[in-house]
Amino acid sequence: MEETKWEPKVVGFLCHWCSYAGADLSGSARLEYPHNIRIIRIPCSGRVDPMFILRALQNGVDGVIVSGCHPGDCHYQSGNFHARRKFAVIRRLLDYVGIEPERVQFSWVAASEGPKMAQVINEFVEGVRKVGPNRLFKDERRDGE
Amino acid sequence: MENRLKEEAGKLLKEGKVDYIVGYGKGSVKFRTSPLITNKEEELENLVINPFIANNLSRYPIELKARVGIVVKGCDSRSLISLIQDKKVNREDVVILGVPCEGVVDIKKIEKHIGKDIDQIEEIKREGENLTIQANGSNQTLSFKDAIFDKCLGCEYPTPLEYDVLLGTEISPKPDMEKSLMRIKELENMDATDRWSYWREEFSKCIRCYGCKNVCPACFCERCFIDVNIPQWVNTYATWQDNLVFQLIRTLHVAGRCSDCGECERACPVGIPLRSLQRKMVEEVKDLFDYEAGVDKDALPVFTHYEDTDPEEFIK
Ligand code: FES
Repeated sequence: MEETKWEPKVVGFLCHWCSYAGADLSGSARLEYPHNIRIIRIPCSGRVDPMFILRALQNGVDGVIVSGCHPGDCHYQSGNFHARRKFAVIRRLLDYVGIEPERVQFSWVAASEGPKMAQVINEFVEGVRKVGPNRLFKDERRDGE
Repeated sequence: MENRLKEEAGKLLKEGKVDYIVGYGKGSVKFRTSPLITNKEEELENLVINPFIANNLSRYPIELKARVGIVVKGCDSRSLISLIQDKKVNREDVVILGVPCEGVVDIKKIEKHIGKDIDQIEEIKREGENLTIQANGSNQTLSFKDAIFDKCLGCEYPTPLEYDVLLGTEISPKPDMEKSLMRIKELENMDATDRWSYWREEFSKCIRCYGCKNVCPACFCERCFIDVNIPQWVNTYATWQDNLVFQLIRTLHVAGRCSDCGECERACPVGIPLRSLQRKMVEEVKDLFDYEAGVDKDALPVFTHYEDTDPEEFIK
Protein backbone atom coordinates (compact mmCIF):
# COMPACT_ATOMS: atom_id res chain seq x y z
CA MET A 1 0.00 0.00 0.00
CA GLU A 2 1.22 3.44 -0.75
CA GLU A 3 2.27 5.34 2.35
CA THR A 4 0.31 8.48 2.93
CA LYS A 5 2.23 11.26 4.60
CA TRP A 6 1.07 11.99 8.10
CA GLU A 7 -0.45 15.41 8.60
CA PRO A 8 -1.18 16.71 12.10
CA LYS A 9 -4.81 17.21 12.95
CA VAL A 10 -5.43 19.82 15.61
CA VAL A 11 -8.49 21.32 17.25
CA GLY A 12 -8.83 25.00 17.98
CA PHE A 13 -11.23 26.26 20.61
CA LEU A 14 -11.59 29.89 19.64
CA CYS A 15 -13.54 32.55 21.48
CA HIS A 16 -16.43 33.93 19.47
CA TRP A 17 -15.64 37.55 20.38
CA CYS A 18 -12.02 37.62 19.38
CA SER A 19 -9.93 34.75 18.09
CA TYR A 20 -12.75 33.24 16.05
CA ALA A 21 -13.26 36.58 14.36
CA GLY A 22 -9.49 36.86 14.07
CA ALA A 23 -9.37 33.59 12.17
CA ASP A 24 -12.21 34.84 10.01
CA LEU A 25 -10.36 38.04 9.29
CA SER A 26 -7.19 36.24 8.32
CA GLY A 27 -9.35 34.23 5.92
CA SER A 28 -10.93 37.26 4.31
CA ALA A 29 -7.50 38.85 4.04
CA ARG A 30 -6.50 35.71 2.12
CA LEU A 31 -3.78 34.93 4.58
CA GLU A 32 -2.96 31.30 4.64
CA TYR A 33 -3.13 29.16 7.71
CA PRO A 34 -2.82 25.39 7.62
CA HIS A 35 -5.92 23.36 6.97
CA ASN A 36 -4.79 21.03 9.77
CA ILE A 37 -6.89 22.95 12.25
CA ARG A 38 -10.55 22.21 12.97
CA ILE A 39 -12.03 25.22 14.63
CA ILE A 40 -14.69 25.01 17.30
CA ARG A 41 -16.28 28.26 18.31
CA ILE A 42 -16.76 28.84 22.01
CA PRO A 43 -18.52 31.76 23.71
CA CYS A 44 -15.51 32.74 25.81
CA SER A 45 -12.16 31.26 26.78
CA GLY A 46 -13.68 30.85 30.22
CA ARG A 47 -15.97 28.22 28.72
CA VAL A 48 -13.11 25.83 28.17
CA ASP A 49 -13.31 22.88 30.47
CA PRO A 50 -10.12 20.85 30.83
CA MET A 51 -12.29 17.96 29.76
CA PHE A 52 -12.51 19.43 26.23
CA ILE A 53 -8.75 19.25 25.95
CA LEU A 54 -8.35 15.78 27.39
CA ARG A 55 -11.22 14.29 25.44
CA ALA A 56 -9.90 15.73 22.21
CA LEU A 57 -6.51 14.18 22.88
CA GLN A 58 -8.10 10.93 23.92
CA ASN A 59 -10.07 10.86 20.69
CA GLY A 60 -6.87 11.13 18.78
CA VAL A 61 -6.25 14.72 17.73
CA ASP A 62 -2.59 15.62 17.67
CA GLY A 63 -2.93 18.96 19.37
CA VAL A 64 -5.33 21.39 21.01
CA ILE A 65 -5.10 25.15 20.89
CA VAL A 66 -7.28 27.43 22.97
CA SER A 67 -7.46 31.09 22.13
CA GLY A 68 -9.31 33.94 23.78
CA CYS A 69 -9.40 37.69 24.12
CA HIS A 70 -6.45 39.60 25.51
CA PRO A 71 -6.56 40.25 29.26
CA GLY A 72 -8.88 43.16 29.84
CA ASP A 73 -10.78 42.57 26.61
CA CYS A 74 -13.01 39.67 27.59
CA HIS A 75 -16.61 40.27 26.53
CA TYR A 76 -17.68 39.03 29.95
CA GLN A 77 -15.02 41.06 31.78
CA SER A 78 -13.23 38.29 33.59
CA GLY A 79 -13.73 35.02 31.69
CA ASN A 80 -10.20 34.98 30.40
CA PHE A 81 -8.68 35.94 33.75
CA HIS A 82 -10.33 32.94 35.35
CA ALA A 83 -9.35 30.83 32.37
CA ARG A 84 -5.75 31.94 32.73
CA ARG A 85 -5.56 30.46 36.21
CA LYS A 86 -7.11 27.23 35.04
CA PHE A 87 -4.84 26.98 32.01
CA ALA A 88 -1.77 27.44 34.14
CA VAL A 89 -2.56 24.40 36.27
CA ILE A 90 -3.82 22.33 33.36
CA ARG A 91 -0.51 22.88 31.61
CA ARG A 92 1.53 21.90 34.61
CA LEU A 93 -0.54 18.78 35.20
CA LEU A 94 -0.44 17.58 31.61
CA ASP A 95 3.28 18.11 31.54
CA TYR A 96 3.67 16.15 34.77
CA VAL A 97 1.85 13.10 33.46
CA GLY A 98 3.91 13.14 30.31
CA ILE A 99 1.80 14.85 27.66
CA GLU A 100 4.18 16.84 25.45
CA PRO A 101 3.66 20.56 26.13
CA GLU A 102 3.76 21.23 22.38
CA ARG A 103 0.39 19.51 22.03
CA VAL A 104 -1.56 21.98 24.10
CA GLN A 105 -1.32 25.70 23.61
CA PHE A 106 -3.07 28.79 24.87
CA SER A 107 -3.02 32.14 23.20
CA TRP A 108 -4.62 35.57 23.21
CA VAL A 109 -5.68 36.82 19.80
CA ALA A 110 -7.99 39.78 19.18
CA ALA A 111 -10.61 40.07 16.44
CA SER A 112 -8.41 42.59 14.64
CA GLU A 113 -5.36 40.37 14.69
CA GLY A 114 -5.92 38.34 11.55
CA PRO A 115 -2.22 37.97 10.74
CA LYS A 116 -1.41 37.03 14.32
CA MET A 117 -4.05 34.29 14.27
CA ALA A 118 -2.61 32.83 11.09
CA GLN A 119 0.86 32.96 12.55
CA VAL A 120 -0.15 31.39 15.85
CA ILE A 121 -1.89 28.52 14.07
CA ASN A 122 1.07 28.05 11.76
CA GLU A 123 3.57 27.88 14.56
CA PHE A 124 1.38 25.62 16.60
CA VAL A 125 0.86 23.14 13.79
CA GLU A 126 4.58 23.12 13.09
CA GLY A 127 5.28 22.43 16.75
CA VAL A 128 2.84 19.55 16.74
CA ARG A 129 4.37 18.23 13.54
CA LYS A 130 7.73 18.07 15.31
CA VAL A 131 6.45 15.99 18.23
CA GLY A 132 4.67 13.67 15.82
CA PRO A 133 1.38 11.80 15.84
CA ASN A 134 -0.48 11.56 19.12
CA ARG A 135 -0.24 7.95 20.23
CA LEU A 136 -0.72 8.73 23.88
CA PHE A 137 -4.07 7.05 24.23
CA LYS A 138 -3.45 4.31 21.70
CA ASP A 139 -3.37 0.84 23.02
CA GLU A 140 -1.21 -1.45 20.99
CA ARG A 141 -2.51 -4.43 22.92
CA ARG A 142 -5.81 -3.99 21.14
CA ASP A 143 -6.44 -3.45 17.50
CA GLY A 144 -8.34 -0.57 16.05
CA GLU A 145 -8.33 1.65 19.11
CA MET B 1 -6.27 13.45 75.04
CA GLU B 2 -8.77 10.66 74.78
CA ASN B 3 -10.35 11.40 78.13
CA ARG B 4 -10.45 15.09 77.48
CA LEU B 5 -12.19 14.35 74.17
CA LYS B 6 -14.82 12.16 75.79
CA GLU B 7 -15.45 14.83 78.36
CA GLU B 8 -15.75 17.66 75.83
CA ALA B 9 -17.86 15.59 73.46
CA GLY B 10 -20.17 14.60 76.30
CA LYS B 11 -20.62 18.24 77.26
CA LEU B 12 -21.44 19.22 73.69
CA LEU B 13 -24.12 16.59 73.36
CA LYS B 14 -25.57 17.18 76.79
CA GLU B 15 -25.79 20.92 76.34
CA GLY B 16 -27.35 20.41 72.94
CA LYS B 17 -24.61 22.42 71.23
CA VAL B 18 -24.26 19.81 68.51
CA ASP B 19 -26.44 17.08 67.02
CA TYR B 20 -23.64 14.64 66.35
CA ILE B 21 -20.14 13.89 67.40
CA VAL B 22 -17.85 12.76 64.61
CA GLY B 23 -14.68 11.13 65.83
CA TYR B 24 -12.71 7.93 65.69
CA GLY B 25 -13.67 4.56 67.04
CA LYS B 26 -12.04 1.17 66.97
CA GLY B 27 -11.92 -0.28 63.47
CA SER B 28 -12.97 -3.77 62.49
CA VAL B 29 -9.41 -4.58 61.47
CA LYS B 30 -6.65 -4.75 64.06
CA PHE B 31 -5.08 -1.39 64.99
CA ARG B 32 -7.13 0.53 62.47
CA THR B 33 -9.71 3.06 63.46
CA SER B 34 -12.89 3.94 61.68
CA PRO B 35 -15.18 6.95 61.84
CA LEU B 36 -17.50 7.01 64.80
CA ILE B 37 -20.58 9.11 64.29
CA THR B 38 -23.03 9.27 67.09
CA ASN B 39 -25.67 11.31 68.86
CA LYS B 40 -25.76 9.05 71.90
CA GLU B 41 -23.78 9.98 74.96
CA GLU B 42 -23.20 6.39 76.00
CA GLU B 43 -21.37 5.68 72.74
CA LEU B 44 -18.79 8.35 73.41
CA GLU B 45 -16.99 5.80 75.58
CA ASN B 46 -15.80 4.22 72.32
CA LEU B 47 -14.00 7.30 71.06
CA VAL B 48 -10.29 6.83 70.57
CA ILE B 49 -7.27 8.96 69.77
CA ASN B 50 -4.13 7.05 68.90
CA PRO B 51 -1.39 7.02 66.25
CA PHE B 52 -3.70 5.20 63.82
CA ILE B 53 -6.38 7.83 63.33
CA ALA B 54 -5.92 8.07 59.60
CA ASN B 55 -9.37 9.05 58.37
CA ASN B 56 -10.06 12.58 57.37
CA LEU B 57 -13.49 13.17 58.84
CA SER B 58 -14.07 16.60 57.45
CA ARG B 59 -16.54 15.61 54.77
CA TYR B 60 -19.09 14.32 57.27
CA PRO B 61 -20.52 17.71 58.19
CA ILE B 62 -21.66 18.14 54.57
CA GLU B 63 -23.28 14.75 54.53
CA LEU B 64 -24.89 14.98 57.93
CA LYS B 65 -26.37 18.41 57.30
CA ALA B 66 -26.47 19.03 61.03
CA ARG B 67 -24.46 20.70 63.76
CA VAL B 68 -21.44 18.57 64.34
CA GLY B 69 -18.71 18.30 66.91
CA ILE B 70 -15.82 17.03 64.87
CA VAL B 71 -12.37 15.69 65.67
CA VAL B 72 -9.66 16.96 63.33
CA LYS B 73 -5.92 16.61 62.98
CA GLY B 74 -3.81 19.35 61.42
CA CYS B 75 -4.31 18.22 57.84
CA ASP B 76 -8.02 17.56 58.37
CA SER B 77 -8.47 21.05 59.73
CA ARG B 78 -7.26 22.39 56.41
CA SER B 79 -9.83 20.33 54.53
CA LEU B 80 -12.51 21.62 56.84
CA ILE B 81 -11.36 25.22 56.45
CA SER B 82 -11.34 24.72 52.70
CA LEU B 83 -14.97 23.58 52.89
CA ILE B 84 -15.79 26.64 54.95
CA GLN B 85 -14.11 28.79 52.29
CA ASP B 86 -16.25 27.11 49.65
CA LYS B 87 -19.33 27.69 51.81
CA LYS B 88 -20.06 23.99 52.00
CA VAL B 89 -19.81 24.07 55.76
CA ASN B 90 -20.87 26.86 58.07
CA ARG B 91 -18.28 27.68 60.66
CA GLU B 92 -21.10 28.17 63.18
CA ASP B 93 -22.38 24.66 62.58
CA VAL B 94 -19.20 22.91 63.61
CA VAL B 95 -17.46 22.66 66.92
CA ILE B 96 -13.91 21.72 66.08
CA LEU B 97 -12.10 19.45 68.48
CA GLY B 98 -8.48 19.76 67.43
CA VAL B 99 -5.91 17.03 67.83
CA PRO B 100 -2.26 18.09 67.55
CA CYS B 101 -0.75 15.27 65.55
CA GLU B 102 2.79 14.00 65.20
CA GLY B 103 1.98 11.80 62.28
CA VAL B 104 -0.27 8.86 61.57
CA VAL B 105 1.13 5.36 61.42
CA ASP B 106 0.89 3.68 58.05
CA ILE B 107 0.37 0.03 58.82
CA LYS B 108 1.44 -0.94 55.33
CA LYS B 109 4.84 0.63 55.98
CA ILE B 110 5.22 -1.38 59.17
CA GLU B 111 4.29 -4.56 57.37
CA LYS B 112 6.89 -3.83 54.76
CA HIS B 113 9.64 -2.90 57.20
CA ILE B 114 9.31 -5.96 59.38
CA GLY B 115 8.26 -8.27 56.59
CA LYS B 116 5.20 -9.52 58.40
CA ASP B 117 1.52 -9.35 57.76
CA ILE B 118 -0.78 -7.32 59.95
CA ASP B 119 -2.33 -10.55 61.27
CA GLN B 120 1.01 -11.59 62.68
CA ILE B 121 1.54 -8.33 64.51
CA GLU B 122 0.38 -8.51 68.09
CA GLU B 123 1.25 -5.11 69.39
CA ILE B 124 2.58 -1.77 68.26
CA LYS B 125 3.87 0.46 71.03
CA ARG B 126 5.30 3.92 70.83
CA GLU B 127 8.35 4.60 72.95
CA GLY B 128 9.74 8.06 72.36
CA GLU B 129 11.01 8.26 68.83
CA ASN B 130 10.61 4.56 68.25
CA LEU B 131 7.92 1.99 67.76
CA THR B 132 8.22 -1.41 69.28
CA ILE B 133 6.46 -4.01 67.24
CA GLN B 134 5.67 -7.34 68.68
CA ALA B 135 5.07 -9.98 66.05
CA ASN B 136 4.99 -13.73 66.44
CA GLY B 137 6.23 -13.33 69.97
CA SER B 138 9.40 -11.40 69.15
CA ASN B 139 10.07 -7.68 69.31
CA GLN B 140 11.38 -5.36 66.65
CA THR B 141 11.96 -1.64 66.81
CA LEU B 142 11.34 0.83 64.08
CA SER B 143 11.78 4.55 64.13
CA PHE B 144 8.44 6.35 64.32
CA LYS B 145 9.42 8.45 61.32
CA ASP B 146 9.81 5.35 59.19
CA ALA B 147 6.32 4.22 60.05
CA ILE B 148 4.23 7.27 59.30
CA PHE B 149 2.61 8.24 56.01
CA ASP B 150 4.73 10.12 53.47
CA LYS B 151 2.39 13.09 53.74
CA CYS B 152 3.02 13.26 57.49
CA LEU B 153 6.77 13.47 56.92
CA GLY B 154 6.28 16.79 55.17
CA CYS B 155 3.53 18.08 57.45
CA GLU B 156 3.71 21.82 57.98
CA TYR B 157 0.60 22.11 60.10
CA PRO B 158 0.58 19.40 62.77
CA THR B 159 -1.60 21.55 65.00
CA PRO B 160 -5.08 22.26 63.64
CA LEU B 161 -5.32 25.74 62.17
CA GLU B 162 -8.85 26.25 63.36
CA TYR B 163 -10.38 24.81 66.50
CA ASP B 164 -12.73 25.50 69.35
CA VAL B 165 -11.06 23.11 71.72
CA LEU B 166 -7.48 21.98 71.42
CA LEU B 167 -7.20 18.55 72.98
CA GLY B 168 -3.44 18.60 73.48
CA THR B 169 -0.47 20.91 73.35
CA GLU B 170 0.63 22.57 70.16
CA ILE B 171 3.26 20.76 68.13
CA SER B 172 5.87 22.61 66.14
CA PRO B 173 6.27 21.40 62.57
CA LYS B 174 9.40 19.59 61.46
CA PRO B 175 8.74 18.96 57.82
CA ASP B 176 11.14 16.73 55.91
CA MET B 177 10.12 17.76 52.42
CA GLU B 178 12.76 15.78 50.67
CA LYS B 179 11.44 12.52 52.05
CA SER B 180 7.83 13.50 51.77
CA LEU B 181 8.09 14.48 48.12
CA MET B 182 10.57 11.81 47.09
CA ARG B 183 8.24 9.96 44.76
CA ILE B 184 7.17 13.16 43.06
CA LYS B 185 10.76 14.22 42.51
CA GLU B 186 11.52 10.83 41.02
CA LEU B 187 8.67 11.26 38.57
CA GLU B 188 9.75 14.76 37.68
CA ASN B 189 13.17 13.46 36.79
CA MET B 190 11.87 10.87 34.36
CA ASP B 191 11.40 11.87 30.77
CA ALA B 192 7.94 12.51 29.42
CA THR B 193 7.46 9.16 27.70
CA ASP B 194 8.43 7.25 30.81
CA ARG B 195 6.12 9.35 32.91
CA TRP B 196 3.26 8.62 30.57
CA SER B 197 3.93 4.88 30.63
CA TYR B 198 4.20 5.03 34.38
CA TRP B 199 0.75 6.55 34.80
CA ARG B 200 -0.67 4.38 32.10
CA GLU B 201 0.47 1.28 33.96
CA GLU B 202 -0.87 2.61 37.21
CA PHE B 203 -4.25 3.44 35.77
CA SER B 204 -4.54 0.08 34.10
CA LYS B 205 -5.08 -1.21 37.62
CA CYS B 206 -7.97 1.14 38.39
CA ILE B 207 -11.29 -0.64 38.86
CA ARG B 208 -13.33 2.56 39.10
CA CYS B 209 -14.53 1.93 42.60
CA TYR B 210 -14.54 5.73 43.04
CA GLY B 211 -13.12 5.31 46.50
CA CYS B 212 -10.83 8.27 45.85
CA LYS B 213 -13.66 10.61 45.06
CA ASN B 214 -15.96 9.27 47.74
CA VAL B 215 -13.42 9.75 50.46
CA CYS B 216 -12.09 13.09 49.26
CA PRO B 217 -13.22 16.08 51.32
CA ALA B 218 -12.57 18.36 48.34
CA CYS B 219 -14.85 16.30 46.07
CA PHE B 220 -18.11 17.78 47.17
CA CYS B 221 -20.12 18.19 43.97
CA GLU B 222 -23.58 16.78 44.42
CA ARG B 223 -23.35 15.33 40.98
CA CYS B 224 -19.90 14.41 39.85
CA PHE B 225 -19.00 14.85 36.19
CA ILE B 226 -18.43 11.13 36.12
CA ASP B 227 -22.15 10.55 36.66
CA VAL B 228 -23.23 13.00 34.00
CA ASN B 229 -24.51 11.20 30.93
CA ILE B 230 -25.50 14.08 28.70
CA PRO B 231 -22.85 14.46 27.53
CA GLN B 232 -21.07 11.44 28.82
CA TRP B 233 -17.60 12.81 29.41
CA VAL B 234 -15.93 9.64 30.48
CA ASN B 235 -16.91 6.08 29.77
CA THR B 236 -18.25 4.40 32.85
CA TYR B 237 -16.42 1.17 32.25
CA ALA B 238 -12.80 0.92 33.20
CA THR B 239 -10.26 1.37 30.44
CA TRP B 240 -6.93 2.83 31.41
CA GLN B 241 -7.53 5.76 29.12
CA ASP B 242 -10.79 6.71 30.76
CA ASN B 243 -9.47 5.95 34.21
CA LEU B 244 -6.62 8.32 33.64
CA VAL B 245 -8.78 11.06 32.17
CA PHE B 246 -11.19 10.68 35.07
CA GLN B 247 -8.42 11.09 37.60
CA LEU B 248 -6.78 13.99 35.78
CA ILE B 249 -10.03 15.89 35.75
CA ARG B 250 -10.65 15.05 39.37
CA THR B 251 -7.16 16.28 40.15
CA LEU B 252 -7.91 19.59 38.47
CA HIS B 253 -11.24 19.88 40.27
CA VAL B 254 -9.63 19.52 43.67
CA ALA B 255 -6.52 21.54 42.85
CA GLY B 256 -6.45 24.50 45.19
CA ARG B 257 -8.70 22.64 47.62
CA CYS B 258 -6.54 19.61 48.26
CA SER B 259 -4.54 19.87 51.45
CA ASP B 260 -2.62 16.67 50.85
CA CYS B 261 -4.51 14.63 53.41
CA GLY B 262 -3.69 11.57 51.33
CA GLU B 263 -7.06 9.90 51.75
CA CYS B 264 -7.42 9.15 48.02
CA GLU B 265 -4.29 7.09 48.00
CA ARG B 266 -5.13 5.38 51.27
CA ALA B 267 -8.59 4.48 49.99
CA CYS B 268 -7.35 3.11 46.68
CA PRO B 269 -7.78 -0.67 46.79
CA VAL B 270 -5.34 -1.27 43.95
CA GLY B 271 -2.58 0.96 45.25
CA ILE B 272 -2.38 3.72 42.65
CA PRO B 273 -0.06 6.43 44.00
CA LEU B 274 -2.72 9.12 43.77
CA ARG B 275 -1.01 11.38 46.23
CA SER B 276 1.78 11.84 43.71
CA LEU B 277 -0.78 13.57 41.51
CA GLN B 278 -2.60 15.55 44.16
CA ARG B 279 0.43 16.68 46.10
CA LYS B 280 2.12 17.74 42.91
CA MET B 281 -0.78 20.09 42.28
CA VAL B 282 -0.50 21.46 45.80
CA GLU B 283 3.05 22.44 44.89
CA GLU B 284 2.01 23.92 41.57
CA VAL B 285 -0.80 25.99 43.03
CA LYS B 286 1.59 27.36 45.62
CA ASP B 287 4.17 28.12 42.99
CA LEU B 288 1.75 29.76 40.56
CA PHE B 289 -0.56 31.67 42.85
CA ASP B 290 1.21 31.67 46.19
CA TYR B 291 -1.85 29.98 47.63
CA GLU B 292 -2.25 27.18 50.11
CA ALA B 293 -5.56 25.42 50.57
CA GLY B 294 -7.31 25.64 53.89
CA VAL B 295 -4.97 27.85 55.85
CA ASP B 296 -7.23 30.88 56.04
CA LYS B 297 -10.97 30.51 56.32
CA ASP B 298 -11.56 34.07 55.11
CA ALA B 299 -9.45 33.77 51.98
CA LEU B 300 -11.16 33.42 48.62
CA PRO B 301 -10.80 29.98 47.05
CA VAL B 302 -7.99 30.22 44.53
CA PHE B 303 -10.01 29.59 41.38
CA THR B 304 -12.86 31.92 42.24
CA HIS B 305 -10.75 35.01 41.75
CA TYR B 306 -7.70 36.21 39.87
CA GLU B 307 -4.97 38.78 39.94
CA ASP B 308 -3.84 41.01 37.10
CA THR B 309 -0.37 39.74 37.72
CA ASP B 310 -1.17 36.04 37.35
CA PRO B 311 1.48 34.14 35.41
CA GLU B 312 0.88 34.03 31.69
CA GLU B 313 4.30 33.61 30.12
CA PHE B 314 3.02 30.30 28.73
CA ILE B 315 0.26 32.04 26.75
CA LYS B 316 1.33 32.97 23.28
S1 FES C 1 -15.13 36.77 25.55
FE1 FES C 1 -13.27 36.20 24.59
S2 FES C 1 -12.23 35.40 26.28
FE2 FES C 1 -14.06 35.99 27.25
